[in-house]
Amino acid sequence: MKGTYLGEFEEVVLLAVAIRDGDAYGAAVVNEIEQQMGRSVNLGAVHSALHRLQEKGLVKSEMGGISPERGGRRKRLYSVTAYGRRVLEEVRQLRNQMWDAIPRTAWS
Amino acid sequence: MRSAPTPPRFAQRLLRWFCAPHRLDELEGDLDELFQDRIKSVGVHRARWRYWRDVLSLMRPFVIRRQHTDYPSPTHTTMIRNYLTVAFRNLARAKSYAFINIAGLSVGMAASALIALWIQSELTYDQFYSKTDRLFQVYNRDTFNGTTQAWETTPRPLAPALKQDYPDIDDASRYRPITFVLTANDKNVNIDGAFADPTFLNLFDFPFLTGNAQASLSEPNGIVITKSLAESLFGTTQALGKIIQVDHKDSFSVTGVLDDLPDNSRFSSISYLLPYNYFISLGWGSDDWSSNNEYTFVLLKDKVDPAMAENKIKRVTAQHLKGVLDDVSHRHIFLHPASKWHLYSKQDNGQLVDGKIVTVRLFGIIAAFILLIAAVNFINLSTARSEKRAKEVGIRKVAGAQKRSLVFQFISESVLLAFFAGLLALLLIVLCIPLFNTITGKQLSLAFGSVSFWLAAPGFVLFTGLLAGSYPAFYLASFQPIRVMKGTYQPVAAVFSPRKGLVVAQFTFTIVLIIATLVIRQQIHHAQNRESGYDQNNLLFAYLHGDLPSHYEALQQDLLRSGAAVSVGRSLGPLTDINSRQWGVSWPGSTKADKDIEFDRFGTDTDFLTTMGTKLTAGRALDVRQFPTDSNAVMLNETAVKTMHLKNPVGTSIRFLKQDWQVVGVLKDFVFASPYDPINPVIVSGPGQSVSLGWTSMRLNPANATAKNLEVIEAVFKKYNPGYPFEYTFADESYKAKFADEQRVGVLTSLFSGLSIFIACLGLFGLAAYTAQQRTKEIGIRKTLGASVASIVQLLTKEFIYLTLAAFLIGAPIGWYAMHRWLEDYTYRITIGIDVFTVTLLSAILIVLLTVSFQAIKAALVNPVKSLRSE
Repeated sequence: MKGTYLGEFEEVVLLAVAIRDGDAYGAAVVNEIEQQMGRSVNLGAVHSALHRLQEKGLVKSEMGGISPERGGRRKRLYSVTAYGRRVLEEVRQLRNQMWDAIPRTAWS
Repeated sequence: MRSAPTPPRFAQRLLRWFCAPHRLDELEGDLDELFQDRIKSVGVHRARWRYWRDVLSLMRPFVIRRQHTDYPSPTHTTMIRNYLTVAFRNLARAKSYAFINIAGLSVGMAASALIALWIQSELTYDQFYSKTDRLFQVYNRDTFNGTTQAWETTPRPLAPALKQDYPDIDDASRYRPITFVLTANDKNVNIDGAFADPTFLNLFDFPFLTGNAQASLSEPNGIVITKSLAESLFGTTQALGKIIQVDHKDSFSVTGVLDDLPDNSRFSSISYLLPYNYFISLGWGSDDWSSNNEYTFVLLKDKVDPAMAENKIKRVTAQHLKGVLDDVSHRHIFLHPASKWHLYSKQDNGQLVDGKIVTVRLFGIIAAFILLIAAVNFINLSTARSEKRAKEVGIRKVAGAQKRSLVFQFISESVLLAFFAGLLALLLIVLCIPLFNTITGKQLSLAFGSVSFWLAAPGFVLFTGLLAGSYPAFYLASFQPIRVMKGTYQPVAAVFSPRKGLVVAQFTFTIVLIIATLVIRQQIHHAQNRESGYDQNNLLFAYLHGDLPSHYEALQQDLLRSGAAVSVGRSLGPLTDINSRQWGVSWPGSTKADKDIEFDRFGTDTDFLTTMGTKLTAGRALDVRQFPTDSNAVMLNETAVKTMHLKNPVGTSIRFLKQDWQVVGVLKDFVFASPYDPINPVIVSGPGQSVSLGWTSMRLNPANATAKNLEVIEAVFKKYNPGYPFEYTFADESYKAKFADEQRVGVLTSLFSGLSIFIACLGLFGLAAYTAQQRTKEIGIRKTLGASVASIVQLLTKEFIYLTLAAFLIGAPIGWYAMHRWLEDYTYRITIGIDVFTVTLLSAILIVLLTVSFQAIKAALVNPVKSLRSE
């Protein structure tokens, strides 16, 4: 994968950012993962993953505007970069490739 | 109406504490939003719980790390970092000054810390028993011939009587030191111990390794031994129940093993305890109230006022002695508290006034002064070189520094220096402690493991830093920017500058110490050269152990026949110690008051003169073999004859111990006790009365080597007494030992005066170097105008010589007074002559000249072309 290793949890977080297109911030990602996967995650783990993804250049972030529902606190909004998108696609392609390589007789 | 649920407050506070400010807003927002969502989905309780988990999960480096910014935000630490940088640069720029300061301070700190350790060990003597504040020793006090005396031995029945009759007294114990030969597994050791009541171990709670305090001395044949004795006898500390034979007679079984007694206990020299009842059963000593031979220790009940208790018991012995002694009106007993046993043991007119505490105070003063001398070096060099820092102070002030912050800067600089000096001092202490222990006879060590050490060490560094740095800090911080920045700043050259005053103070102290060293040396020399009145060489004393007294005649013949000894006699004890004291002596023409006169008593049977080497001035020598009636004869010394006012002493009959004694001879005075004391009247009696002559004195054959003589004598002793090790003392060695205390003080004083000279000279060296450097141009001009090297050296050294003279003028009277007081303790003493002061002055001037002239000559030899060219 061209030197960028994507951990399982990082992949999940990256996907969640992609799903919440334009509105991906810490709490939203937590909620998204919890809904999609039905498991509880720590905010710290999510932020840590986002931090690493940003360091790898897979996501970028900017501070969002002030919203009243958060008591006037601002959000850090994440979005997937072009590089991030390509990495995701490569992961998916690799998976498909491997799925296709499974012989039909294997499951029967 | 219930208010809306809030997130856990403590978790919020935790987050705000660790989270970097630039991320806090966003994270709190996330947490809050999740919290509100979760209240709806899982309830308040679970939501709060999850909040906590999230906060804890956020404790990660990327959250905690503060945002980097290009703009400085000065805090206190930033300024301190700046101070440290500047301090390091200053130290590095002037390496020789840094060296002088650090060397001086570290030597000073090491010396005063060593003294402090010594003082601490002196002050903690006998302070560690769990009942220390309730422990007392009972002392006797009475007035004889108008002078009141106090002494520490008491009658045997006193302790039981006090415990029984006085409710204030919780417990009491008798105590009697002894030396016995102990035997176990064919091993013999002759070693110090004591008899004590079972209550002794209740009074003094020495830690037991095995056995218990209550039972161990109550059994009639139980012995309590120390760990090291157990190891040397049995090779193990598991000695409980093992058998030890005491004095080759009675067998005792070990009922307890004590941990070795601490060095700072008055009982540290004893290795075993025997039941006091065994001492009574031996038939030694007496139950009379008039015989004072036992030590009595008491433990007062809790919350009993010692003064009140003392008042109740003070007449106990007097009541029992009524009718036995003529006058009991002045006989008292009093209580001496455990905390004062070691430091206040010197009696003066019946009061225990001081003792070792004097030395402790003296050394405390010396320690303080040595540290002060080192601090003065720092003060002088910093203020002298203040010009170098003046510009810095100016700039800092212009940039807005307050005087307070400048003071803080300079003090932190000196604390930094003190810290380096402290590290070096630590090294010095570790290196010097073995030597210091040898001189002082102590077992001092640095307690690296204890909390108090880690509190005391930084405290000491801080104190030294403040002591040395305070004055220079205020001095430097008070510079006015306008004056120093214009470059017209010139330090004021006052007639009396504080710097000169400090140099004088340094040298005053040094001069006092030099005087003290010289006087102590002279005094020791004086006493050592005192005519002892007997021949100390080749004179040997040995105790007659076991069977020796019954075989004495044969032993004596064998010794003489072997050729190892040329003369052998029996005696009460070694001649170098006081053997016994005798009161109540009467003679023709004596008055009732004369009965209080104290005579020192020695005993002999024959050959006293030939063995000891004393001289006879009248009559003949006492000789029981030739004249059997000499059993009841005595010899007197010249002082005794003088005291008794006898015109014709030989042939006179004197009376003591209810018996008449014929005076057969008069001995020339000889020094047996302290070589500093006047000679007491002495009676040397024949073996006629009760006291047995338990020792033998031998004069070795000078023709043989001493080792050979000792070998032969040991063989003879072993022949008659195989069970005992052959132990002996040499007269010259025990006489030398009498100088040990003074010699120790002498060595320490010369050591400390050497140190203070070294430190003071370091400072002077620095000052001289700086002055020479300051006057480079002046010297150059003088030289071009024709000044000689000598005149320039004179110019540069003159001032320091004046300062030394001033210090001498102040120091000499102080030194004279102090040493005069010190000498008052000795009856046989020197008078402080003019030579002491001449030597002090000359050596002080010589030292100062040597220190200063090096720099002066260096400066005077510089080619003026060089010193004037650079501008």
